[in-house]
Amino acid sequence: MEDILKQISELVAEGESEEAVELVEKALDSGIAPLTVLNEGASKGMDIVSEAYSAGEAFLPELVLAGDAMSEIIDIIFSRMDAEAAAESKVGTIVIGQAKGDVHDIGKNICSALLAVNGFEVHDLGIDVPVKDFLEAAKKYNADIVIVSTLLTTSLPYLSDTLQYIKDTGHRDDWYYAVGGGPVTPEFAEKIGADGWSRTAFDCVQMCKKLVSECKPGQNGTILVDTEA
Amino acid sequence: MYNYKVERLLNNLDKAYKGPVIPMKEWDTKIIPKTIKGILKKYNLNKTLDLDNPINCDDELADTFFKAGWELALELGLYCEDTERVIKVTEDEILECMRDYQECNILGEGQDQVIMKPRKPEDPYPPLLAASLGIVCSEENYLPLVQGIVKYNKLVDVLHGPTLATVFGREIRSGTPYETLMGNYESELKKEALWRAGRPGMPCTGVAGAVTEYGHMGGAPAVAGRGNVTMSLCPVELKCTFSNFHRIIQGLNYGHKLRIGGFSYIGGYAGPPEGAALACIANDLLIPTILQSDYTSSYVYDIQLFGNCGRKAVWANSVSCQAVSRNTGFMRNKIVNETGGPCTEMFMYEAAVGLMNHCVSGASKTTQPRSAGGRYTDYITPMEAWWCGDVFKSCAGMTRKQANEIAKKILPKYEAKLGVAPDKGLPVQECFDLKNQVPFENYRELYTRVRNELIDIGMPLDKCYGDWYMEKMQARRQYSVK
Repeated sequence: MEDILKQISELVAEGESEEAVELVEKALDSGIAPLTVLNEGASKGMDIVSEAYSAGEAFLPELVLAGDAMSEIIDIIFSRMDAEAAAESKVGTIVIGQAKGDVHDIGKNICSALLAVNGFEVHDLGIDVPVKDFLEAAKKYNADIVIVSTLLTTSLPYLSDTLQYIKDTGHRDDWYYAVGGGPVTPEFAEKIGADGWSRTAFDCVQMCKKLVSECKPGQNGTILVDTEA
Repeated sequence: MYNYKVERLLNNLDKAYKGPVIPMKEWDTKIIPKTIKGILKKYNLNKTLDLDNPINCDDELADTFFKAGWELALELGLYCEDTERVIKVTEDEILECMRDYQECNILGEGQDQVIMKPRKPEDPYPPLLAASLGIVCSEENYLPLVQGIVKYNKLVDVLHGPTLATVFGREIRSGTPYETLMGNYESELKKEALWRAGRPGMPCTGVAGAVTEYGHMGGAPAVAGRGNVTMSLCPVELKCTFSNFHRIIQGLNYGHKLRIGGFSYIGGYAGPPEGAALACIANDLLIPTILQSDYTSSYVYDIQLFGNCGRKAVWANSVSCQAVSRNTGFMRNKIVNETGGPCTEMFMYEAAVGLMNHCVSGASKTTQPRSAGGRYTDYITPMEAWWCGDVFKSCAGMTRKQANEIAKKILPKYEAKLGVAPDKGLPVQECFDLKNQVPFENYRELYTRVRNELIDIGMPLDKCYGDWYMEKMQARRQYSVK
């Protein structure tokens, strides 16, 4: 059993989705518990790639591919679990995108990949995303968190516009709302009333975990995560 | 306006509808990293990063990088996001572009006219400085701030400018009529500031606050022709959009020179520093060939440090800049992304290392400063621009070996704070008197102290004022030390 789990973790770390998925199915068919495959196999692969990225030994493509592999594996594992157990194991669903007018997406892409690698179901809406699209996607995917990022000061107003739109359409209690990106300061996040702000992509993962485990949308002030401060 | 450049631009726009179809995710996560990895391996360039010598002094290494970058450019081309197709080029097209490329760019007019020339590594011809690299400032500070930035004609040659926080008190939302209005407003304010500073013919590089074509559309008519420049920045890695084409066509419509940017990220799709250097070289070859730039704005950025003043990025910028400077006549605008803010030693050290590196590696121009990483409103003063001019111009003619030794002494003064806790510094109102256009005592003292410190370790910082001035100042300094 240890061998197959080790192989799964290595394949996830290498971003080899097809082979990893095949092996996960083989492991499940052989009777290994779904949660064991997830925690002792796939998750360990995510740890490997996260640590390598932190150390400057792996880069964005490796993160993205490992995140893709992880997403596919999670789908398979959850399909083999009963609904209650699957719901308990699910970390959370995130809708993320770059604010309207902004095409600088590399920081957001790192966040997306790291969130996926850490077990979140991530729906990345891409760049230059209109305010309304965040709301539509959050409804469609039954999101837990909506994250809007920008690198441009001229797109900052869209961060408050999105939250205002969520409030005005009566959804403030439905999703956590978090913001990030170069010019987005903690003060700005607090001023607009966001639920979360984080400095780096790694901080973003911690922030999302904290939001889904400890908070309620719109009721805990702004959770600020900056591990380097 | 129809000429060979327009013809080539249209041919390449046609290719955006006919080139190979590739989903964007595949381009980013498979094609780019795999091709770069393969070429790095083929040319034996893996692990060539030399952290002990951040400014490359090895011509053979630079030339090998150039050959590898040439192959990368031919193998990949530029990806058009709008059509999800690749605009590929042939070797003949790059060679034709090199053959037809202009000998210089004449920017501005009258007594404020400046000439941008291709530079080789260690070139004694001084490069040009454009200021500032965006950075948001309050509407009421814009005019005096720009007036201060362009005050000294020996230090600042071209105006790019800060970006406005608001337009007539309203927040500026990109891609909306606010941005279109801002474009014109910014251009008019700049013209007024140049007139007040007595430099009405100084060249302007587009609208600093224009993040989409709307801002350019609003601002370009106010600064049409006379050696002004339109700027268009492409997405990473090795990509372009129709928004880029829009801005380029607008620039041509208004008789502007074209400054077109393409950046490469360490830790991004290009991977390690060696991969980012390679992608940067490919950008330098593809952008003039495909998008017909009069000069390219390309550089390497380190994602983990939120800037490019760490050893990895300094090295990658040095080797990629030297590769293209040694082997082509292409002119390039190279950028330093400082993370320290105004009135900090950190900003001055970061700018010193980054600009000295670009200067000795063959950059023709820079756009500076980017104080505090451009994160905070009003964290910009004219002093940072003046400091960048001091450094960038004075370093012309230094050897790479000298520059490398000096960089090795300065880097330890700030590198521990990079990406972790850069010094934020002070907003303009706390360190600069905008009314009288002079620094407050706190900034004057810091500037002089750091300047003297760097002169002591070998930076020829008075050189931009002429040899006679430099000799006099050196004599006075020696006298005062005794």
